[in-house]
Amino acid sequence: MPKFTLNVNNKQYTVEAESDMPLLWVLRDLLDLTGTKYGCGVASCGACTVMIEGNSALSCQRTVGSCVNKSIITIEGLSEDGSHPVQKAWQKAGVPQCGYCQPGQMMAAAAMLEKNKKPSEEMINTVMSNNLCRCGTYHRIKEAIHIAIDEINK
Amino acid sequence: MKKIKIDRRHFIKISSLSSGALAIGFMVPGLKELGTLSDDCEFFQPGAYLKIDKKGKVTVFVAKQESGQGVDTALPMIVAEELDVDFKDVNSEIAPYGTMKEGEHDTGGSQSVLDMYNRLRKAGAIAKAMLISAAADIWKIPASSCAADMGEVVNTVTMKRIKYGDLVCLAAKLPIPETVVLKNPKDFKLIGKSEKRAGLTNILTGKTKYGIDLKPEGTVYAIAVRCPVLDGTLVSVDDAAAKRIPGVLKVVSYKGTGAPMHVRAGVAVIATSTWAAMKAAGMLNITWDEGKNNKESTEQLFKTFASKAKETPAIPVYKKGDAASLSGKNEIAATYAEPFLAHATMEPMNFIASVKGDGCELWGGLQLPDWAVNTIAKDCGLKKENIKVNLSAMGGAFGRRLHFDFAIEAVRIAQQFDKPVKLLWQRTDDTMFSPYRPANYHALKANTDGKSKIFSWEHHVLGTPVAYKTEGTDTKNAPEMDGADAGFCYDIPNINTGYTGVDFNINLGWLRSVDICVNTFPVESFVDEIAKQLKQDPLAFRLSMLENRADFKIGEGPGAMTQSPKRVAGVLKKVAEKIGWNEPRKANHYIGLATHSFIFAKSYAAHAIEIEMLEPKKFRIVRVVAAIDCGTVINPDGLLNQMQGGLAFALTQTLKGEITISDSRVLQDGFFSYELLRYDEMPPVEIHVIESTEEPGGVGEVGVSTVAPALCNALAAAGERPRSLPIRNEGFRWV
Repeated sequence: MPKFTLNVNNKQYTVEAESDMPLLWVLRDLLDLTGTKYGCGVASCGACTVMIEGNSALSCQRTVGSCVNKSIITIEGLSEDGSHPVQKAWQKAGVPQCGYCQPGQMMAAAAMLEKNKKPSEEMINTVMSNNLCRCGTYHRIKEAIHIAIDEINK
Repeated sequence: MKKIKIDRRHFIKISSLSSGALAIGFMVPGLKELGTLSDDCEFFQPGAYLKIDKKGKVTVFVAKQESGQGVDTALPMIVAEELDVDFKDVNSEIAPYGTMKEGEHDTGGSQSVLDMYNRLRKAGAIAKAMLISAAADIWKIPASSCAADMGEVVNTVTMKRIKYGDLVCLAAKLPIPETVVLKNPKDFKLIGKSEKRAGLTNILTGKTKYGIDLKPEGTVYAIAVRCPVLDGTLVSVDDAAAKRIPGVLKVVSYKGTGAPMHVRAGVAVIATSTWAAMKAAGMLNITWDEGKNNKESTEQLFKTFASKAKETPAIPVYKKGDAASLSGKNEIAATYAEPFLAHATMEPMNFIASVKGDGCELWGGLQLPDWAVNTIAKDCGLKKENIKVNLSAMGGAFGRRLHFDFAIEAVRIAQQFDKPVKLLWQRTDDTMFSPYRPANYHALKANTDGKSKIFSWEHHVLGTPVAYKTEGTDTKNAPEMDGADAGFCYDIPNINTGYTGVDFNINLGWLRSVDICVNTFPVESFVDEIAKQLKQDPLAFRLSMLENRADFKIGEGPGAMTQSPKRVAGVLKKVAEKIGWNEPRKANHYIGLATHSFIFAKSYAAHAIEIEMLEPKKFRIVRVVAAIDCGTVINPDGLLNQMQGGLAFALTQTLKGEITISDSRVLQDGFFSYELLRYDEMPPVEIHVIESTEEPGGVGEVGVSTVAPALCNALAAAGERPRSLPIRNEGFRWV
C-alpha cells in the first residue's frame, strides 16, 4: 500500500493507506483521532468537518492522497484544553446533548469565524445548516456562535 | 429476568421490583472487587453508586445509559445533594456492567430520574451519615452534635471541621446504618440549580469515546450487507471481487433471527480498515431468498388502515358509559395518519464483539443491556456470566438502542474471526434497516350537544404494533395503540376506544415518546376541530374539560399511575398566557395550542405555536412557547436542553420525517431522503417551567408530542387542517 505523510494538528504522520481512502477513515482508524465523526460518508451531515489549510472541509469527501502537504486541523487540534473561543462559547452555552455532532459543528463555526469575524445571520444560517444535530441543539448553537463572535471581536 | 416484554409496562415492572430492595446496592455481586471493603483504605465505597477517595473526590457510578439526555449529570446531582459535597468534587462514571441489579441499567421511558431518585438520595445520605459517625467517634461527641457542609463534617459545638477525605478510612469500617434521614426538599442546595453537563470539556475537545470510537487491542472492522427484505434468507454469495480489495481479511455470512430482534440475514466483510470493508462490501454479489412477504408497501398499508378503520376495533382498550348509543347526534368524525419513522441517531449503529472459546466480550451502547446479554447468551450458546459488557456513551439513542439487533450481528460475525470485530452500520444501513416507529392511523368520532359539550368520544387506533415483531402477532401488548385510554385527561362521560393491529413486514421499535407521540397528534387535533365546529375558543373549551376534574388513578397497586387534569390545564394556561392568546394578533398570524400528560413519566407539557401565513399553505413559524410541569426539577439547564431539543426532534417529524416502503424495501437511504430539521429551520423557542414540589418526573420525551398538533392547529386556524404527518405531503411549505 502507498505511504502518505500528513500534517495533522501541526504534527507529521506517515500512514500506509489506499490512495482513495477518505481522510475521515485515516484520522479515525489509522491515527486514532476519533474526535472527527462519521455520520453519513456522503456530505449530508457535517459530522466529519475538519479544517484543511484554514478552510472548512468534509473529511469524508477528501482522499488521503489529496491531503498531502496540507495543514489539517481536527477537533483535537482546535485546542487541547477547550480554550479556543468557539469551544469556550460552546461550554458557556452548554450546547451538547449527546455531543456526537459537536466536533463537526465547532469546526464549521471555527472555520467560518477564521474567514469572517463578523458573519451575517444569513452567512451563519448557510454555513451551520450543513451540520445536522439530531438532539436538536440548534437553539444553543446559535447562542454559542454569538458568544464566540462577541469574544473574538472584543 | 425470564421472558421480558419491553414496553412501558416492562419499565414499571422493573422499577417496582427494585424499589423494595435495599437502597444502595449492597447486594451487588462483585462489590468486594470494586474495593468497597478495601483494606488498604484508598477509598470509601458504601454501595454500588458512589465512592469517596482520600482527597474527598466523589465518584458517582451512573447506572443509566447516557445518550444526550443528561443522566450523567442529573443522577450525580441527586447523590451530591444528600451527601453535602461541592459538585465540583463529583465525578461521573458509567456504572460497570454487572455491578447493578438486573434491570437497573435499563434506560428508557424517561424513567431514569424516577427510578433512581429515592435510591440515590438514600445512598448519598447513608454515606454522609457514616462520615458523620466517623467524625463523631474522633471528637467523642454524639453524631447529633455534628453536621455536614460542603464535603466536611462540622462539630457544631466547637465549630471544628474535618474533611470527608480524612474520614474515609474510619467510615469504611463502620456498620451501615439501617435507617437514614433524608433532607427536607426545602433545604436542597444543588437540586434545582443548573449544572453544566458532566464531561463537557471532553465532549468539546473530541475526547469523549462513543462506541464507534472504541478500539480494543487487535480490532478489525466489519461492514455487513443485509437481506433487503425482513426475514429473508441468503442463497449464495460471490465474494471474489470483494476479496481482491487490499485489507480484506475475511468474508463471512450469518443467519437472521426471528423475534424479538429480527436480525436480517447478512454477509459481512472483515477488513483492516473501515474503508476497505466498505469498498469490499459494495462488491459483494449476493442472491437472497426474499420470502413471501416481499411485495408490501406503505401505500397499501394506509389503504388497509383506512378500510379497517370502518370496522369495529379488533381489541377493545377502554370503555366508559355508552358512546355507541349516542351515535349520529351532532356527530363529528375525522381521521389522522402518521408514518413510519427512523431514529436516525447521528452516531450510526455500531458494536464491537470479541468471541474466544466459550467467552465473549462486548463494547458499545445499549439501553437495555440485560435483555441484550440474556438474548445473546441464548442465541449464541454462551453462558451469560461469560459475557463481559463494556458500556459506552451513545451518540443519540431516542429508543434505537433499546433494540440490540446490531449487537447480535456483531457477535455472529465475531464468532467467525479470532479478533475483536467492530461492526459499523453505514448511514444507508442505519436508515434502511432500523426498527421503525410504527405507522398509525386514527378514526375519531365525537357527539356533542351542539353547543359547548362533548357527550361521547370514540377512538379507533390502527397501526403496526411493535410487539408484533418483538413477541408475535398474537400479543395483546401494544401500548402505543392505546389512544383515549383509562388515563384520558378530558372529562367526557362516554368513551369507547379500541385498536386494530396490522401485520407488516418491516422491523418495528420504540421511538422517543413512544405512545404519546402516536396519540397526541390525533387527540389534540380532534379536540381543536370540535372546538372550531362548535365555535368555542380552543383554550376555554379544553379547560372546561380539565379544570374541574379531580386527579384520578389509572390501574391498581404499586404500579398505578395518577392522572392530573389540573396539571394538564396548568401547562396549557401557561403557554396561552405567554404567547398572548387573548391579545390582538397581527394580520395573517395564527396560534395553535396543544397539551398533554405523559403520566408514565409523571410529567406534563404544552406548546403554543405562532405562525405567519405567507401564501396559502406557505408559512413561517414566528415563535414557539412551551411549558413543562415535571414536579421537582433536578437540573434546570438539562431540562431546558431536553425541551429545546425535543422541539427540533418533533418539528422533523411534523414537517418532513417519513419512512416509505415499496416491495418491502425502505425507500429512504440517508439524510438526503430522510431529512432532519436543519439549523436555519429552528424557530425561536421559550420554555416555561411550572414551579412544583411534586416528586420529580422524566423530561426526555414529554416535550415532543404536542408540537405537531400545536402547529397543525395553527394551520387549521389559518384555514386548512393537516390530517397526516409529515405535513409536507399535504402540500404545506415553510420558510
